[in-house]
Amino acid sequence: MSFKKPSFLFRQKFPLQKLGYLYDLLRSLVNRDMKIMYKRSTLGIAWTLISPLLQLLVFIFVFQIIIKIDIPQYSSYVFTGLLVWNWFQTSLFQATGIIIASRPLIRQPGFPNAVLPIVVVTTGLIHFVLALPVLFVFLLVDGVSLTPILLVLPLLQIIQFAFTLTLSYFLASLNVTFRDTQHTLGVLLQFLFYLTPIFYEIGNIPDRYWFIYGLNPMVHIVTSYRQILMWGTQPDWLALAIISGVVAILMPLGYNLFKRQSLRFVEEI
Amino acid sequence: MGAAILVENLGKRFHRYHAKKPVTLMEAVLSGLRRIQPMDDFWALRGISFEVAAGEMLGVIGHNGAGKSTLLQVLGKVAYPNEGRIKMRGRVGALLDLGAGFHGDLTGRENVFVAAIVAGLRRSEATRRFDQIVEFAELEGFIDNPVRTYSSGMMMRLAFSVAVHTDPDILLVDEFLSVGDLAFQSKCLNRIEEMKQQGCAIVLVSHDAGQVERLCDRALWLKKGTVAAYGEPTVVVGQYTMEMRSKTQQRTPNRPIQLTAAGTELRVNENRFGSLEAEITDVRLQPQAILESGDALCIAIDYQTHQPLDSAIFSIAISQENGDICLDVNTLAMGHSYIRLQERGTLKLTFDRLDLQAGQYFVDVGIYRQDWSYAYDYHWHVYPLTIESRISSKGLLQPPMRWEVSQGSPVQSLTL
Repeated sequence: MSFKKPSFLFRQKFPLQKLGYLYDLLRSLVNRDMKIMYKRSTLGIAWTLISPLLQLLVFIFVFQIIIKIDIPQYSSYVFTGLLVWNWFQTSLFQATGIIIASRPLIRQPGFPNAVLPIVVVTTGLIHFVLALPVLFVFLLVDGVSLTPILLVLPLLQIIQFAFTLTLSYFLASLNVTFRDTQHTLGVLLQFLFYLTPIFYEIGNIPDRYWFIYGLNPMVHIVTSYRQILMWGTQPDWLALAIISGVVAILMPLGYNLFKRQSLRFVEEI
Repeated sequence: MGAAILVENLGKRFHRYHAKKPVTLMEAVLSGLRRIQPMDDFWALRGISFEVAAGEMLGVIGHNGAGKSTLLQVLGKVAYPNEGRIKMRGRVGALLDLGAGFHGDLTGRENVFVAAIVAGLRRSEATRRFDQIVEFAELEGFIDNPVRTYSSGMMMRLAFSVAVHTDPDILLVDEFLSVGDLAFQSKCLNRIEEMKQQGCAIVLVSHDAGQVERLCDRALWLKKGTVAAYGEPTVVVGQYTMEMRSKTQQRTPNRPIQLTAAGTELRVNENRFGSLEAEITDVRLQPQAILESGDALCIAIDYQTHQPLDSAIFSIAISQENGDICLDVNTLAMGHSYIRLQERGTLKLTFDRLDLQAGQYFVDVGIYRQDWSYAYDYHWHVYPLTIESRISSKGLLQPPMRWEVSQGSPVQSLTL
């Protein structure tokens, strides 16, 4: 009795081959999600840009014309915040429902379920990267001079990626037990949006609240993006290191919880 | 070499939760998390052992809820066993809910790639096999249309084709043979046969005991999560069918003798079996119950139910007086997988011609539950059918025929 060929899914002897397979899988699933998104809207890929631009327009109208906030280079300031936030928000929101939405995939023998939230966060990252040229146009128009510290951008993206992914694992797992997690999350995210310096300045937070305010990792992540993109200064390395450390501890927990919960979901029905 | 699948003393336990288990965060917070704990548990599978060699096909039969799907899940590593041991050699493929993973807005081409990669192929392998997959599904002309424009048959053909072209070493199948028309079904069977010859081990879960008997090398009968029988398909299927018959007898309520429209007595547990959730009120043989061999026949079944039943299977057999069956057909096997029973209705089966030998026959009629687990109503040897013929012959069949005698001279034809 002989088998036709070694099967890479179950023989762990060839981790490289398995890695190659996971890359193919990730690529094809991200590709699928992007295609679905663009086939549903007539504007296609332009929508990725139009949505944050419209948001930007609202903020400029409210905070430059109605209530005057004095922040220099306001459009660049807000647009940076919006892009970073939108990636975070859409990824979390989609990832929360991912187990329930992907039942046929999870039922497939040998399918690595944990890849699903990675697909969601990667799709968000691609949209973020596609919008970067527009951000740079804003930066140039606002007269920002780009400095070499800009090269830290990929590192920031990796940290945000890992942070979002870790949260996604936990939220998606919770959503299997409590199906209203996604709705609750919508409200919480809106709350968090106002607790992140997206359209206002961080300096306006009174010192005595800083202790609580600073617990929101997105505060530091958004600020770090601005530091390297707009102000040409070093990002807040200490905060980034703490976030990375916490993520490094929590991600394996979330990963295992997610794997357990996705199987439980398939079993339940 | 060992078996492709080796299962030893497998057990799978499920938790039963409180009926008011909170399903929303809000409720959980309000009820204080105490109802989240399971109340008790039950074994969906227990003490299951079997093995499947490479190139062998195992059929799993059993009623709904006997644990068939759970077994497939555990074999597919989509559920963890709580006891016992499973050894699987090689890549596992599955034919579960065909086409469920497809996305309607994407084209057939795009879906094939995603499905093939999800099933375990590298991208390059998927590209290489793409043409073969499309050709097998007979969808060359439609492959660049969105899948939502496909009929359900086309979708299932495509999904089936992807699954059988991913070269699994083990294939898990959940009731696949209703894919497409008869021609496609036989193509699927050939492909399955081919895979078996290449050494693929197959586990088929089926309601249809006959299918298991025809196709499988071994059969496993699951009953309430345990093995009721395991071995030769003919033996296992025979036991299963026997049990089903006696279960129908138990379910048959006591009823006074009823008369059919033709005046035959219907005696419960003698010539009538079933739970009588649905009743056969009359069976009419049209144009009449005495036919010339080769005539057309239409069998009309009138039924009534007390409440509409979601789905049922109708079965008609023509048997001889000694009980030997000449023909046995049912709606499910002929592609009518869904027949909803209204309060009253009629169902007809038409034979364009009935080429039976002259003699006395009976038309046996039954209505069964959708999963064949028991009969609603079954009338055995109640409706007589007489076939007359000008030719006297032995055996069962009397198709149109003629002799041709040639003796070196022009053919003389003796047409009858």
